[in-house]
Amino acid sequence: MATRTGWSPGPASWKDDLAPISSADWNYDRAAHLLTHAGFGGTPTDIEALAGKGLDAAVRSLVHYESIPDPRLKPFVESGLWDPSLNGFPESRPEATDRAERQGNSMGVAVKPGGNRPVQPVSDRFFYWLRATMLETRRLGYWWANRMLQTTHPVEQKMALLWHGHFATHENKVRDYRKMVQQIDLFERGATGNLRDLTIQVAKNPAMLYFLDAQYNVKGAPNENFAREVMELFTMGVGNYSENDVRECARAFTGWYFDDLSFKVDPAKHDDGEKSFLGRSGRFDGVEVLKIIFEQPVTAEYLAGKIYRFLVRDELSPDLRAKLGKVLREHDYEVKPLLTAIFSSRDFYSQASYGGHIKGPVEHLVAMMRHLGADTIPGVPDFNQSTIAMGQHLLNPPSVAGWAGGKAWITPGLLIARGNVAREVLIPDMTGFRDWNFTAGTDDLLGRRLRDGYDIGASTAVSDPSKMSTFDRVALERDERFNTRISGYIGWEQAARKLIPTPRQAAQIDLTRMVMESGSKTTAEAVDYLLWRILRVPAAAAARDAFVGFLTRELGTDDIERARTYMEDALRLTVHLIMSTPEYQIV
Amino acid sequence: MPSRGPLSGCGVSRRDLMRLGAGGFGFGLFGGIGPVPFVLGQASRAAAGNTSGRILVVFEWFGGNDGLNTVVPYGDPMYYKHRPTIGIKERDLLKIDAHAGWHKSMRGMKQLYDAGKVAIVQGVGYDQPSFSHFTSMSFWHTAAPNSGNEYGWIGRTASALDPAGQRENFIVNISDSQSLAVKAEKHVPLVFIDPMRFQRDVFAQEKGVLDQLAAQHTPAGDAHRYVLEVTRSAAQASEVVRAAWSQYTAKANPDLRLLDLDKVAALIEADFPTRLYYVPLRNSLFDTHVNQASPHDRQLEYCSDAIAGFFQELERIGRADDVVMYVYSEFGRRVPENTSLGTDHGTAQVNFVIGNQVKGGLYGNAPSLTNLVLGDNLEATVDFRRVYATVIQGWLGADATQVLGQPFAPLDMFRA
Repeated sequence: MATRTGWSPGPASWKDDLAPISSADWNYDRAAHLLTHAGFGGTPTDIEALAGKGLDAAVRSLVHYESIPDPRLKPFVESGLWDPSLNGFPESRPEATDRAERQGNSMGVAVKPGGNRPVQPVSDRFFYWLRATMLETRRLGYWWANRMLQTTHPVEQKMALLWHGHFATHENKVRDYRKMVQQIDLFERGATGNLRDLTIQVAKNPAMLYFLDAQYNVKGAPNENFAREVMELFTMGVGNYSENDVRECARAFTGWYFDDLSFKVDPAKHDDGEKSFLGRSGRFDGVEVLKIIFEQPVTAEYLAGKIYRFLVRDELSPDLRAKLGKVLREHDYEVKPLLTAIFSSRDFYSQASYGGHIKGPVEHLVAMMRHLGADTIPGVPDFNQSTIAMGQHLLNPPSVAGWAGGKAWITPGLLIARGNVAREVLIPDMTGFRDWNFTAGTDDLLGRRLRDGYDIGASTAVSDPSKMSTFDRVALERDERFNTRISGYIGWEQAARKLIPTPRQAAQIDLTRMVMESGSKTTAEAVDYLLWRILRVPAAAAARDAFVGFLTRELGTDDIERARTYMEDALRLTVHLIMSTPEYQIV
Repeated sequence: MPSRGPLSGCGVSRRDLMRLGAGGFGFGLFGGIGPVPFVLGQASRAAAGNTSGRILVVFEWFGGNDGLNTVVPYGDPMYYKHRPTIGIKERDLLKIDAHAGWHKSMRGMKQLYDAGKVAIVQGVGYDQPSFSHFTSMSFWHTAAPNSGNEYGWIGRTASALDPAGQRENFIVNISDSQSLAVKAEKHVPLVFIDPMRFQRDVFAQEKGVLDQLAAQHTPAGDAHRYVLEVTRSAAQASEVVRAAWSQYTAKANPDLRLLDLDKVAALIEADFPTRLYYVPLRNSLFDTHVNQASPHDRQLEYCSDAIAGFFQELERIGRADDVVMYVYSEFGRRVPENTSLGTDHGTAQVNFVIGNQVKGGLYGNAPSLTNLVLGDNLEATVDFRRVYATVIQGWLGADATQVLGQPFAPLDMFRA
């Protein structure tokens, strides 16, 4: 078993050097560094096991994970919110209700033959699905975070998270959690495979096809949205192609579309003519265009740089980027050889790579669970609310450019939020918690009014109907085809009736046991143990001393054995302080 | 992204450009705003031509403001054909000219306009518009329609003004979560909504230890140095913001309703170094699909009063010459009213640029109400990035092409 060691970054001179470290340079701390960057960190037992394998076998076990069983990962269990009548869901409420007015029904719901608000059920149906897919996507994010935590293939999950932010689509536009499930599956399967293949699969992925408007990209009227992004954001970076390349690229993708969850090509809408693209000419289709993109050396550098910044450190030199690009290109865009080279390299273990990466919020929360020894993402606080507060809404990146990452993860407010989330995990507000999935947001008030017996006109008024005269209230009610405001509430209620509740258990943490098993005798030893276990960059000496003083005060003694029966919450507060340090935000 | 050039289709004719003299500011009672004593405070920082003390306040009207019922083209009979029920009657309007009038609730803006301090930019939008609140606003935030950018247009403006990213609290975002618009490569935007709650949630016994979180430490590298700095500035910023707020005198005036602009006034009064303020409207009523009149009347009155009151405050503080406000939404609304006495998501919208240094008047062409596009929608006549270029270059003195990635001709909108 490898000896537990303290912080031991390699020399500064190793920076930018891709030569592998020697077996003499391999130790417990280097294994901890590897597990942290390749995945989401681990317990001392996990790290010892990895360290004991030796460098080559350790890297191999992380990168070539396919043969390792992953028994805790289970398929996503759907709430049963979708049915086939929602296929071809209208892009907007007006489209939904116009369709109903034209053909008598829409989304499987008929227009009422008489009475006021005859189209109301159709409007309700539209909002039902908006709410349903939003709520199910929250469950999906929670499910995915648990996969990241519980997997035996941390590299697979870490890379899938990278590809989600790289090939960014958000549910808010896609409006179909099933397509997001499909996409997570694609990113997991292609996590460390061939990048050309992954990009081709992404180009055929229904969420992406919808997100970047493939349905509008047809022969004679190309829509350049996907063509531009595939070069600017997914493969080459801005400045490496012309506007003409964008136009020609868009032509190559014409006719690509999806039917529900399947990729399709409509030959009648595909422009089969000659294209001139990145210096080549031919009757290219989308796949051929992507293959040409992957012939460009800049593509390998762009993608290798992106992988490196996500896994290792936020800044990299043009020289290192070129070297990494060369590795990727020489292995025909296979990711595993690149990861092996990175994880074995002197650069990876150099001083610059220790503490050079600011953790993203999802990575941060999953790693937090590993540090605390919790084996399930807690229900309180809510996973999505916590990560949103820290600046990352899983499955809803802010734009097609994904998350900026790096320093953009930290602002004064976001940093404060990290400390606040750590407190909610360690000392959850179990009695004050309210499940936001079962709170109709701003429509909540409207629901209360309906239940209090107000009609739709009064319930949707800006003013409080209880303060209106009867005359004013009645005057608000009117004849109309439908009322969208009420649909927002009804849709939420209808979706929530079917929604599988998220378990609202607190994180199961036992810091008393953790500290007792560490053999710490004094509060100073306990704090040093927790700092060693939790941080990847040492805390300031003054902070360490303050934490020891704090724990001693809280326990009324510096004797751990004496305090064993009542020290849990004091340890939790101490860990909250440790997790609020600047050092805990970086690895 | 459309393939056509950025400058096509948005020629500015400045029809009906009105330049009223920079007359006296009206301090009468309007829109529920009580009189605030006018005190000549500090001298203006920005001498003519010197842009270094100039401040931009962006007031974002999320929800999709109905521009046609804000600056109403009452002179076009098509307006009343499209809006038989919810159209604002001519007799109710606060008239601008023979064609357009302010919505009846906008007395505050009318006063500012009559004083020559409001530029109304008509027909602002972009090609291939999105009808999604979220998507369209992300285009406005990044200044990248049908595309994307990691950083927001305000964040990139900060980079252009202060390339080293050295200046603290250069960007303030009054919001409970950071807007994409202010996301910057180097600058750390100060984001808060409630000055008194911009702090770490801790238990009483932890408080004494918090100071040690930013204890003197040798940084392990650049990322560590950055997080250490933010840890310190977070503690300081939350403290100075709370101090500025507690010293802000006007908040005692119950008649002064500034929405969240009161926090901006407080920081300006406290002499914050901030040059870029970004204030998204909270609890917006602008998404007026249903029974539009009541919420829209009210929301416009709130916003218009808040803007007038804000500039009144700036006069009191003595910084009114140094501040320009820019108002936009993510889109306008459908031209014909719907059957619920409301309007659905649309395209082109009206923007406002407000300040003592603004040459008031109408800019851009009012879109046609006859030739509608994309299913009963207005065709944009001014690309929104031209208005961005106007405030970035014309007001703040930064290189708009650098910020926007391509050239957009600014509108000639400022006095000096």
